[in-house]
Amino acid sequence: MDKKLFGFLAEFDTPTEMVDAATKVRDAGYTKTDAFSPFPLHEIDEALGIKRSILPYMVFAGGIVGLLSGLGLQYYVHVIDYPLNVGGRPFFSLPSFIPPMFELTILLAAFTAVFGMLFLNGLPQPYHPVFNVPRFALATREKFFLLIESDDPKFDYNETRNFMESLNPQEVFDVEP
Amino acid sequence: MTNYEAPKAEIGKIQTVALGIGGIVSLVVLAAALFFPDYREQALRGWLVGFVFWGGIGFGGLGIIMLQYLTGGAWGVVIRRIVEAASRTIPWLFILFIPIIIAVYTGNLYAWTRVDLITDELVKHAIEHRGAYQTPFWWIVRTLIYFAIFGVMTFLLNNWSARQDAAKDFDEAAGYLGTATAFSGPTMVFYVLTVTFATVDWVMSLDAGWFSTIWGLLFVASWALTAFCFSIIVLSFLYDKPPMDKVLGKRHFHDIGKLVLALVMVWAYFNFSQYLIIWSGNLPEETQWYLTRMTGGWGIVGVILIVFHFALPFLILLSREVKRKPKMLALVAGFILIMRISDVFYLIEPSPMVGEAHNTAGFHITLFDILAPIGIGGLFIWRFFVELQKRPLVPVMDPFLENAIEHGKGH
Repeated sequence: MDKKLFGFLAEFDTPTEMVDAATKVRDAGYTKTDAFSPFPLHEIDEALGIKRSILPYMVFAGGIVGLLSGLGLQYYVHVIDYPLNVGGRPFFSLPSFIPPMFELTILLAAFTAVFGMLFLNGLPQPYHPVFNVPRFALATREKFFLLIESDDPKFDYNETRNFMESLNPQEVFDVEP
Repeated sequence: MTNYEAPKAEIGKIQTVALGIGGIVSLVVLAAALFFPDYREQALRGWLVGFVFWGGIGFGGLGIIMLQYLTGGAWGVVIRRIVEAASRTIPWLFILFIPIIIAVYTGNLYAWTRVDLITDELVKHAIEHRGAYQTPFWWIVRTLIYFAIFGVMTFLLNNWSARQDAAKDFDEAAGYLGTATAFSGPTMVFYVLTVTFATVDWVMSLDAGWFSTIWGLLFVASWALTAFCFSIIVLSFLYDKPPMDKVLGKRHFHDIGKLVLALVMVWAYFNFSQYLIIWSGNLPEETQWYLTRMTGGWGIVGVILIVFHFALPFLILLSREVKRKPKMLALVAGFILIMRISDVFYLIEPSPMVGEAHNTAGFHITLFDILAPIGIGGLFIWRFFVELQKRPLVPVMDPFLENAIEHGKGH
């Protein structure tokens, strides 16, 4: 077994073939897998057994943090640090606190969405081994690729290669690390 | 061509029950208003609560027809026939509005119609300063104009839709779609203006000494929310029955659910805007409206609305799974409808009675606040289903129908 290998990349001509193959890969018990396609394929999530992203929950948490920090900031400024009498209104005037609380909710939720998405996708990523396969450039045009990484607990050079050949791909490539 | 006729047997049962209950209860409320002077004003107020709530489905439905033409999208194609049927109840809503028109003429519902009985100089001055505008005659003239405008919009939009169904080919069908879309743009502006003027006259003028400039938008959003929630319940009822089981998909409910979430937020946003401006300004003629609604037991209703009309539906509708389960979404929609009627009740019931400048009675709910909405609701549901059965449940010749059906099946 070649310790230096990143994984195997299988090339397919049509999305249907790749989704069928991906289903078999998942059924065979592989978990360190990925799929590449020129356009979004909603079926592939289910075929590869990819779980729904936790991003929405992170965004929700980001929003709550924004809401509370908006409240905390104004409470500190208007009640503790520098109380000002504005037209006889109470120092703790919740109605006038709500717009900044709302804005900070949106701000932190949006930041969490953008940076959380980048983080969960492992971006920015200047180097990825799959680009060592020259034909991989076609993934942005007309070909569909399926990847099994060598980190997968079920990975075995010969067995996995034979298994991938059995999925009827155009070709199976060794991916250099 | 597939047959998209409404499932008549199931709808027939609902109609019979709705007409029976609605007819009897409405007659009881109207009889109380007519023959028992002691109950007259309360019965008419209950009637107004019922009208503003159920009418919202008709008027809001008219707005949604134009909205979906302007935005496009699969949700618009599957909801179109539901909101069209709702909009065609508007002539019947006019009949239901006649008791209110008579009450304005006889001076039995709005305090400003009997300005001679008001002793508060400020309120009296505010009403008299408006001159002819705030007189029963011109109020009735304006009301007739509002119904005429809504009626013409409804007729034109429904007419093009019917002619599209009868189109010989898709080019002709696309032509009617284009006409309706081009009409909807500028007409939407007049729709919002008409709703603004109408709700200022019908609801805001109950408290004639008070005014709010966001009032019209509040009702545009509230009525659209009411119509969306009602449509979701109708769609989820049709979801598992032929012919709509072949049309509706979870994604359609997901899309409409997102719009309901947005409108729940818009409702809260407009209400809070109104509150914040009046709270900041702190002027006596403005704050009295909120003071009435925050003291004497009314404050609890306000808190209930914040929590159950905004916070809870907002948090529930954040969930993707809830929006994708038709029965679950219908349950949430039903809950929002209960909150909608509570909101209408909260706007109308604390208003001054005839002869008063301000209402100081504190929290009160009468039998009529419950009976009248049930009565009007029965009649409305009956008429809505009569209209719904007149046409296929989807726009059969719409060029985007197939796309829309396909969209529903997706993820």
